[in-house]
Amino acid sequence: MNAPRRLAHTAVTLAAAVAVAVAVAVALGAVTADAASTGRVAKPAAVVAARPAVASSAAPSCNQKASSIRPSGPPRVTAGSFMATIKARGYLIAGVDQSTYHFGFLNPLDKQIEGFDIDMIHAIAKAIFGDPGKVQFKAISDNDRIGDIRNGSVDIVAHTMTITCERLQQVDFSSVYFDAAQRVLVQSNSTATSLTALRGQKVCATKGSDSLGEIAKANAIPVSVPYWTDCLVMLQQDQVAAISTDDTILDGLAAQDPFTKLIGPRLTDEPYGLAIAKQHPDFVAFVNGVLQQLRTDGQWAASYAHWIGNPVPAPPPAQYGS
Amino acid sequence: MSATAALAREAIRGGERRTPDALRGLLAVLAVLSLAWGAVAALTAEQHASAAADVVAVSEPLSLDAEQIYQSLSDAEATAANAFLGGGLEPAAARQRYQADLAAAAKRIEAASAMVGIGAARTEGDLTKLSADLPVYAGVVETARADNRLGLPLGAAYLRQASDLLSRQMLPAASDIYANEDAQLTSASAQATGLPLMVIAILIGLAIGYVLLRTSRWLARHTHRVLNPGLLVALAAVVVSLVWLASAFVIGRGDLLHAQQYGSGPAKAFARADVAALQAHADESLTLIDNSGTDQYQGNFLTQQDLLGPGTGTLLADVAAAPAVAGAPSGQAVTDDARAWFTAHAALRAQDAGGGHPAAVNSALSGDSATRFAALSTALESGITAHQAVFASSAHSGRDAFTGLEIGMIVASLAMVASCAWGLTRRLAEYR
Repeated sequence: MNAPRRLAHTAVTLAAAVAVAVAVAVALGAVTADAASTGRVAKPAAVVAARPAVASSAAPSCNQKASSIRPSGPPRVTAGSFMATIKARGYLIAGVDQSTYHFGFLNPLDKQIEGFDIDMIHAIAKAIFGDPGKVQFKAISDNDRIGDIRNGSVDIVAHTMTITCERLQQVDFSSVYFDAAQRVLVQSNSTATSLTALRGQKVCATKGSDSLGEIAKANAIPVSVPYWTDCLVMLQQDQVAAISTDDTILDGLAAQDPFTKLIGPRLTDEPYGLAIAKQHPDFVAFVNGVLQQLRTDGQWAASYAHWIGNPVPAPPPAQYGS
Repeated sequence: MSATAALAREAIRGGERRTPDALRGLLAVLAVLSLAWGAVAALTAEQHASAAADVVAVSEPLSLDAEQIYQSLSDAEATAANAFLGGGLEPAAARQRYQADLAAAAKRIEAASAMVGIGAARTEGDLTKLSADLPVYAGVVETARADNRLGLPLGAAYLRQASDLLSRQMLPAASDIYANEDAQLTSASAQATGLPLMVIAILIGLAIGYVLLRTSRWLARHTHRVLNPGLLVALAAVVVSLVWLASAFVIGRGDLLHAQQYGSGPAKAFARADVAALQAHADESLTLIDNSGTDQYQGNFLTQQDLLGPGTGTLLADVAAAPAVAGAPSGQAVTDDARAWFTAHAALRAQDAGGGHPAAVNSALSGDSATRFAALSTALESGITAHQAVFASSAHSGRDAFTGLEIGMIVASLAMVASCAWGLTRRLAEYR
């Protein structure tokens, strides 16, 4: 090949190479742009939970409704008791929920945490101090409930917390103060009638809640988030097909979105208790004494009527293991 | 050069009879050399001028846009979260600031998209991502506001989602654009201030001047005339063009380096610190909204606080290292502002942990923490503005130093050819 022809050949090859490179770059750019512009939905940090280990391991058996300590009478702050320690400190520290409507939520109007659970705490503060306001509320997530009790950063947890045999090995509970049941919340146009109908679909619950087990049992895909309101966000954005947890919590979510409905039977029995560290049996007995007063003097019924509504059922009967 | 010397030697050896031929040869060589000088000098001038123009016209606005996108988005997040703390009754000023932030971000994204060139696929992809995410973000924030206004706890969940979208997807993209555009600016600036080509051009110019000098001395000996006016003019032209080229380069380079060292470099340090402070401010509000004690947002706050410093290798250390310019706060003042805010924040956290949630919210909304943060943010932003102004004025004068240089070099080389021809043809005419 002579010099001019080689030169021409080189030029043609170069031009072809440049053309190919440009075409590839343009195509790549188009692909990237497509990927960037389609199918992008903002999501809260959701974790698709593996089937909880609890479901498979042999759960300890117990009578969770009759596991608490019998009060010796009306609540009294005895010298040297944990109640005396709290009284000396000047306020009770309660771990509560801040996003569960009607049980524990931060009222945006007055910036106070309010709800049925919170009423229980105010009653205990009144029994210790004579003043229901002497409480420091610490809003904690579902996941922190046991840990915060065990490390002593809170005195008591009032957080729609079910008494389970597994939890009883880690913390003590008061007598049952509320009877809840796990159910399912879907958008009002959903055709599903129960959790089993949602097999293979995503169902939301919070991290660390015991609702995840039932979801996995029904062969739905559990999705877990930090707060229950995060579940409602995902339901509204069609990122999950349903939310499944205690009817109490679901009622609170449904109250924030009229286009949702509760479906299916009571899947589980969820007896709520107030959690207290195992080192303080005196405080457990004290709290049970307070709860007994609430059951009998009409305060329990008043709280129920105020937060959940009428008709008011009979309060869960107190049963004790000792 | 050696060709000229050989020609000259040959001319001398050839004696009188060969002189006209030698003169013709000399003229040809001088013409070629003059044109070559013109070409090299003009090319050099063009390269530096276009690189300097690139800095001013493309790289600077792009990196400014990138910085503004980054800052506006961070500010939008911090403001939205802070306004949310006020409950259903948002402070009007916060609302306006949030809207101004979104408008600024949208405008800058559009401007940057229009300007970003082919080959900047990465920046283009990031910009596309941002334009897609911005309305989604704004939509989620509005849902949060609507729910908050209804007094529903759901609002906080939407705000968490918006914040998550911004800090996990949008800010990394904005940061990426900023890093890319800053690198682009640095490389364009390096091109404009680079030495090698300029040194070669100046050496060639000096060599041509030397050849002209030798030629006129040879001519003086052989034609018994002291000076050849044509060659003198050519010599003057090469000296003038050399001086112009060299001084334009020295001045332009000095201005561009000044623009970098006193302008874009420190502005970047201030901007990085500002964004970290804004992020921390958003985290402070989100901790109060989340209201679950020492949560992930407080963790994020402490991460940003560590990034800010002060201390070796921190963002505030970079700010303190910035040279002083008019209108920019001193490094010490900024550090003091940051310390004051961190102290106020710690007090706020202690209040919140001690059951004083409403008091803590007040501190973040309009109290001590809010005031301290505003002072820090204002100081950092005035630093950004001051250094960016220095950058703009220095970069502009750096670019202006190269104005007309290319044409000047071409004209000078043509003048050299013409004057050599004029001078030598007058000598040649004497042999006819």
